[in-house]
Amino acid sequence: MGAYIVRRILVGAALLVTMSLVTFLLFFATPVDYARLACGKTCQPAQIEEVRKSLGYDDPVLVQWGKFMKGVAVGREFPDDPALRAAAPQLVTECPAPCLGYSTQTNSLVGTTIKERLPVSLSLALVAFILWIVVGVAFGVIAALRKGTLIDRGIVGIALFFFAFPTFFVGLFLYTYFAIKWQVFPIPRYTPIADGGVWPWLQNLLLPGATLALFYMAGYVRITRAFVLESMGEDYVRTARAKGLPKGVILRKHTMRAALTPLVTMAGLDLASLAGGAIITEAVFNYQGLGLLAGTAARNGDLSMSVGIVVTLAAFVIAANIIVDVLYAVIDPRVRVG
Amino acid sequence: MYIGRDLANANRLFYRSLVSFPLSADPKEATTPVPDLATDTGKANADATEWSFTLRDGVTWQDGKPITCEDLKYGVSRTFAQDVITGGPNYILGYLDLPKSGYDGPYKKDGQADFDKAVTCDGNTITYKFNKPWADFPLAIASLRAFDPYRADQDKGDKSNFSVFANGPYKLQGTWDEAQGGTFVRNDAWKQDSDPLRKPLPEKIVFQQGLTDDIIGQRLIADSGDDQFAVTDIPVLPAQYSQVTGPIANRAVLVDSPFTNYLVPNFKTITDLKVRQALLASTNQEGWIAAAGGDKAAAPSKSIVNPALVGYADNPNFTYPPAGDVDAAKKLLAEAGVKTPYKITFTYRSNPTRDKGASALQNTWNQAGFDVTLNPLPDTYYADIQKPSVVGDVFWAGWGADWPSIASVIPPLFDSRINLSAETKGQDYGSYESDTVNKLIDEAASKSTVDEAAKVYAQIDDQLGKDVAYIPLQVQKFYLLRGSKVGGYQAGAATSGYPDLGTIGVTG
Repeated sequence: MGAYIVRRILVGAALLVTMSLVTFLLFFATPVDYARLACGKTCQPAQIEEVRKSLGYDDPVLVQWGKFMKGVAVGREFPDDPALRAAAPQLVTECPAPCLGYSTQTNSLVGTTIKERLPVSLSLALVAFILWIVVGVAFGVIAALRKGTLIDRGIVGIALFFFAFPTFFVGLFLYTYFAIKWQVFPIPRYTPIADGGVWPWLQNLLLPGATLALFYMAGYVRITRAFVLESMGEDYVRTARAKGLPKGVILRKHTMRAALTPLVTMAGLDLASLAGGAIITEAVFNYQGLGLLAGTAARNGDLSMSVGIVVTLAAFVIAANIIVDVLYAVIDPRVRVG
Repeated sequence: MYIGRDLANANRLFYRSLVSFPLSADPKEATTPVPDLATDTGKANADATEWSFTLRDGVTWQDGKPITCEDLKYGVSRTFAQDVITGGPNYILGYLDLPKSGYDGPYKKDGQADFDKAVTCDGNTITYKFNKPWADFPLAIASLRAFDPYRADQDKGDKSNFSVFANGPYKLQGTWDEAQGGTFVRNDAWKQDSDPLRKPLPEKIVFQQGLTDDIIGQRLIADSGDDQFAVTDIPVLPAQYSQVTGPIANRAVLVDSPFTNYLVPNFKTITDLKVRQALLASTNQEGWIAAAGGDKAAAPSKSIVNPALVGYADNPNFTYPPAGDVDAAKKLLAEAGVKTPYKITFTYRSNPTRDKGASALQNTWNQAGFDVTLNPLPDTYYADIQKPSVVGDVFWAGWGADWPSIASVIPPLFDSRINLSAETKGQDYGSYESDTVNKLIDEAASKSTVDEAAKVYAQIDDQLGKDVAYIPLQVQKFYLLRGSKVGGYQAGAATSGYPDLGTIGVTG
């Protein structure tokens, strides 16, 4: 198992390096001149070239990527222009390894900004995840146990109803009615646990968390229902029933265990992608997480920030994949790696 | 910090200028600079190529140290570091009397000796020497923050972009979060008797950024909790107009903004004047404005120049009705002798409002005999349309004067000498080139008073209209809502149509 995990981590690292290169190539493959964009509307060609040089965009793409990789390995100094660094030491920003770059849009180190925004996205993902897992799986099980009844159809129908609505609509609805008009919840504003404790943190996350949970929940209701029904038809469940085991024990020890494997796969990947930011929900509730940061970076042509976010998100997904694979082995002995 | 809102807020709260716009609701008075850090509004030589200002006594930074002439000189020098300080208005580069070898700012300091000759300090008096007259220089100082003092020991280049080292009545508490905003509190080092302008009223001003326009509107309509003390620079959305009635409407104002929208024909592809005139005749301003939200969002314009600017006059060439005159356009196309439908591509910056407006324009143009293809582009729009290779026969654009003078409208947009090159169209998106206009621009620039220059600019605007160098669309309006416990509310020309934080307080 240990060798397997090490092997997966090495493959994951190679994938991250490749993704950073692809991001650089894609960035410069677009027709947008990012130096012109950064320079502003009133810039003359000579000024645009000055900006291109100061951003390091005058180097070939592979050289720029090489500098990025070097920064990841041993750290870097900004600005890129050595003459400027020598002339004005007060401008120099030290970026220790693993350096993800310096954003000239936010005037900060990419790694520092990601670290600031990550807790927001992680908090949102966590609260949404707990909501949809608990509610989604519970209602999925109930729907399966009441197969064909009005309760079954009602649960599946309601889940699909929320799934069908765009996230921004649900978010705006919850914000407008539950926070502004009816004032059931406070105006949502991300409050770190360190600033106000667990309750303000959680209370402010309930509406954005519910927005995401309502969307994701539908899939979990249906998947749980389908796999529980499939398991309930298996011979070993029939045997357990014939042996007179209580319903709860059958459900917990036999039916749910079999249904758990696909749920864990789905949940792991969903959680990983959500930890990287839910751009629409973050925008509606003004939660400054990684999703909004990624959107802003892409819109403003912020290469350093874009690469940093892509690498961070890819790391989440790769790590989630490895964890899911390991969990498989724990849940299902048949797929245990030798 | 570039758009009018940021510049005005900074001036009112934490960055004082040599001269500033007064806290006046009267449009003319509001755009006439008054002394602020300086003892008067400046002394110019006979041809306005040299300007001097003297700092008043007792003005200090937030740490209590006095503001010096060297701070003013250092502040203006930063604009020259184009490799560090990017993206803002850089008019000073074209005005300051420097040799061609130039000056690259206070970091690398190449050409520093030349800069030191062009900007000099004599005690508390600073003198700027220009290579051409700059009659409205005080207007530029009052409008832009590029001429404000800056302390060298607080400068970390672009890392200082979100730092505030105040000399006004408020200072930043903690740090500014570029995504979320920040909080300003009273600056103890600021003294009321050193400032003839500002009336700091609230103890604390909290800036909250990042909210969607829809949520801002809903919160101000609901008017609960701290939102009762809130003001915004975001206009009410057209979808929310129906909710702004009764007592809520008492908390709304409709303000003329300094922004205009206009179209430019591409002179490389639409070379026939009659065709451009047909395009002008069939331009449906009404449809464009209806898509933007109607008369609370904009009004039809008769010039690229905003009516609030000194010397404004309707352009006599734009006489067609706001809904367009399809029959006149058909006749002009027939006179041009071109094959109809005449194929054109309309390139614009896409958003849901402009998409609807573009469809309205397309509809009327098509009725007149054009065959219009819409080419919506993303947020990188201006960088895209500056490229000579961009696809388009007509381009949409917006403009707001950098200071309330036509000198910051016509030359930057239509002087082909400073805009057009093999690599870029600059801001002359239609590749318009006219020796007549360029000569008149030089003549206007040589005038030593704003009023004399305005007369020449009126001639230029007339020529631009005759050539159909642009087609006016709208003057944008701001329909702004505020909380019920906001006092002294004012939004006008002194602050580019945004709420004036110099007058606003709280009640109740």
